[in-house]
Amino acid sequence: MLTPPRTATARKRGPSRLARAEARTAWLLLLPTFVILAVIAFYPFSRVVTSSFTNARFASANAETRYVGLANYRALLSMTIRELPRVVDDDGQPVLRDGEPQYESWVRVLPREPLRYRAVFEFSLLGRRYVVGAVTAPFVRAIWDTSVFTVIAVFLETVLGMVIALALNTEFRGRGLMRAAMLVPWAVITAVSARIWEWMLQPTRAGLFNALGSYLGISDGRTDFFGNLTLQLPSMIAMDVWKTTPFMALLLLAGLSTIPSELYEAAEVDGASRLRQFFTITLPLLRPTLAVALVFRTLDSLRVFDIFQVVLGNRRFSMASYTQDLLISQRDMGTSSAASVVIFVIIAIFAVLYIRMLGQRSLE
Amino acid sequence: MKRFLLAAAVLFFVGTNALAQEEQVTIVVATGAVGQELELTRAAAQRYMEQHPNVTVDVIETPDLSNDRLGVYLQVFEAQSPDIDVMQIDVIWPGDLAEHLVDLYEYGAEEVVDQHFPAIVENNTVDGRLVGIPWFTDSGLLYYRTDLLEKYGYDAPPTTWDELEEMAQTIQDGERAEGNPDFWGFVWQGNSYEGLTCDALEWIASNGGGTIISPDGQVTIDNPAAVEAVERAAGWVGTISPDGVTSFGEEDARNMFQAGNAAFMRNWPYAYSLGNAEDSAIAGKFDVAPLPAGASGNGAGTLGGWQLAVSRYSEHPDIAADVALYLASPEEQKIRAVEGSFLPTVMSLYEDPEVLEAAPFFGRLYDVLINGVARPSTVAAPNYAQVSQAFYTAVHDVLTGASTAEDALALASLDIQDITGLEAGQP
Repeated sequence: MLTPPRTATARKRGPSRLARAEARTAWLLLLPTFVILAVIAFYPFSRVVTSSFTNARFASANAETRYVGLANYRALLSMTIRELPRVVDDDGQPVLRDGEPQYESWVRVLPREPLRYRAVFEFSLLGRRYVVGAVTAPFVRAIWDTSVFTVIAVFLETVLGMVIALALNTEFRGRGLMRAAMLVPWAVITAVSARIWEWMLQPTRAGLFNALGSYLGISDGRTDFFGNLTLQLPSMIAMDVWKTTPFMALLLLAGLSTIPSELYEAAEVDGASRLRQFFTITLPLLRPTLAVALVFRTLDSLRVFDIFQVVLGNRRFSMASYTQDLLISQRDMGTSSAASVVIFVIIAIFAVLYIRMLGQRSLE
Repeated sequence: MKRFLLAAAVLFFVGTNALAQEEQVTIVVATGAVGQELELTRAAAQRYMEQHPNVTVDVIETPDLSNDRLGVYLQVFEAQSPDIDVMQIDVIWPGDLAEHLVDLYEYGAEEVVDQHFPAIVENNTVDGRLVGIPWFTDSGLLYYRTDLLEKYGYDAPPTTWDELEEMAQTIQDGERAEGNPDFWGFVWQGNSYEGLTCDALEWIASNGGGTIISPDGQVTIDNPAAVEAVERAAGWVGTISPDGVTSFGEEDARNMFQAGNAAFMRNWPYAYSLGNAEDSAIAGKFDVAPLPAGASGNGAGTLGGWQLAVSRYSEHPDIAADVALYLASPEEQKIRAVEGSFLPTVMSLYEDPEVLEAAPFFGRLYDVLINGVARPSTVAAPNYAQVSQAFYTAVHDVLTGASTAEDALALASLDIQDITGLEAGQP
């Protein structure tokens, strides 16, 4: 960006003295940034990488730290798929319960040596039953949960953010007030908003949603949003959507305001419908903004920590909150560091994919 | 996030006081804030400051769940930070945290240590060093509504889990029919944390299923009596206990019981005086009993309790130790017993008329404390926290239906063998 333009002719003659001086200035201006990055990013990160190859214990100066090679990564990433045999009776006939065949428990099926595997989830395929096992099942589950959380939450935030941005982009009385009000959820500290939601989603009628549900007759007023395994992720997604849709809307609103109104006037004259205008003018011109907003939100969601930690604690983990659990509850700094590196790689892959898919055209 | 807030609060308090009173010594005491703990400790700190005008005692609160609290301390220790001088530590932590704590024997604890229960003093002694002065002790208790038992024709609290289930169901059905749809039979601590280890240990021990790891160092958790006990508890969820009990901590259970929405509650003694406070819906309408028995024929209450420890990284360990010893002194323990129904660790207070008047059940607790079941923190040290996590995670999986009790405990047994290097055995 700061390097001088290199046209074909300029390259032939070599950069001019002025251009060289500018380049030098640019490097000088960038130097403090590199130094700061080295101190606050590269140094801590290299420490994390180093300790990911050891068995370091957290808050334990007495314990001896050893180099363990890739053992931490092997423990985190080893996975396997095994078929679950059917339970058979003494005559070799499958045992049925309620007409359904019964399967052996995965505890007896998954390998125990040299590393012990436990179930991440089971699934049926073509009449057979399989179990996916991992040595560190909570971590694999955290990766899966965080990915599901990210995809659904970011999708909803984008759609809702777009709707809000389009609404706020039109002229109406009280628009300024609406814009300000919209930002409130975004301004509330996440730990606080997580606690507010925790209260609203309480498993008794003391919670807003259960009170409303039982008043309207659509629930029995005792839905346990955070204890029920199928409701945990949707609850987390609802909290995140509530909190970060305003951010999405704000970014998109900024993008909308850069689109010249003449384009719409011309389209109007040509008789294009509102829907047509949205897909042929708004969306293409909003693409760069949308790309930036999506990258921001996706990378942010993959690192989600606070709402999981505040609300679900030890019950269900995001990638980041599992790393914290490894460090604090289990005091396993080595594995925790390795998990951090794995998360870093996952996020980096997402970032590169995004820039490939959305970026190239629009970010140029 | 809670931890960051706390760290920020610590920095704020330390910072402002250092500026305001330069020749003053400030001692930061980190304590719990469950029930009225914080107010009681603040009042005690005030009394200490009146006697020692050159010392400022800042009482800061730590998270309610003991796991979160341990996290705060570990972060302070890892940074070797002097931000916290005195800390309230759980009965299961002395072994794990000893390396970061001062030996109170070096600061005059010999003179007072004989006043306390010898078993707790022994628990707090690591390699001959006294790393915590006992502050209060704890045991799991069964709280029950005397008015409701009478109303439904029961003349005594349940002595077995079967009786408890039956009574809870009857009272729950009756109260709901009378127009309280939010009424439940039995509330307890089902969240995935140390509190669940305490509750589950009670179910299992009272059913003859042992204590996770036997005192002679065998991992005994994978046995039929334990499986049966955990299955029974899983059956309570959604029937006599609210579906949300799997996310309950101590305070969630107390809030429900104290609002008059539960017939029975498993909790620690601190809930007694709060339940009898003026604003309580159940003041004078409840009592406590030992926890019910299972197949073993004996009830079992998990032993708990908190100690005051002094950080090795404190800048004024001598003054900090003095504050800790003062807070744990017989005079202060008496005030806490009378006002907060905290069980003293000072033996003589169990015969003190004022204490017995304020908390009449203290006299009956002798049996409960004698039959109490200790968590395997000594035999598992320094890995108790991991052992407990493997155990409560397994039990929580059963409660939420994510796993069968057989599988979960079999797996927990393997996990605990891995963590501790101990062999499996039968209780």
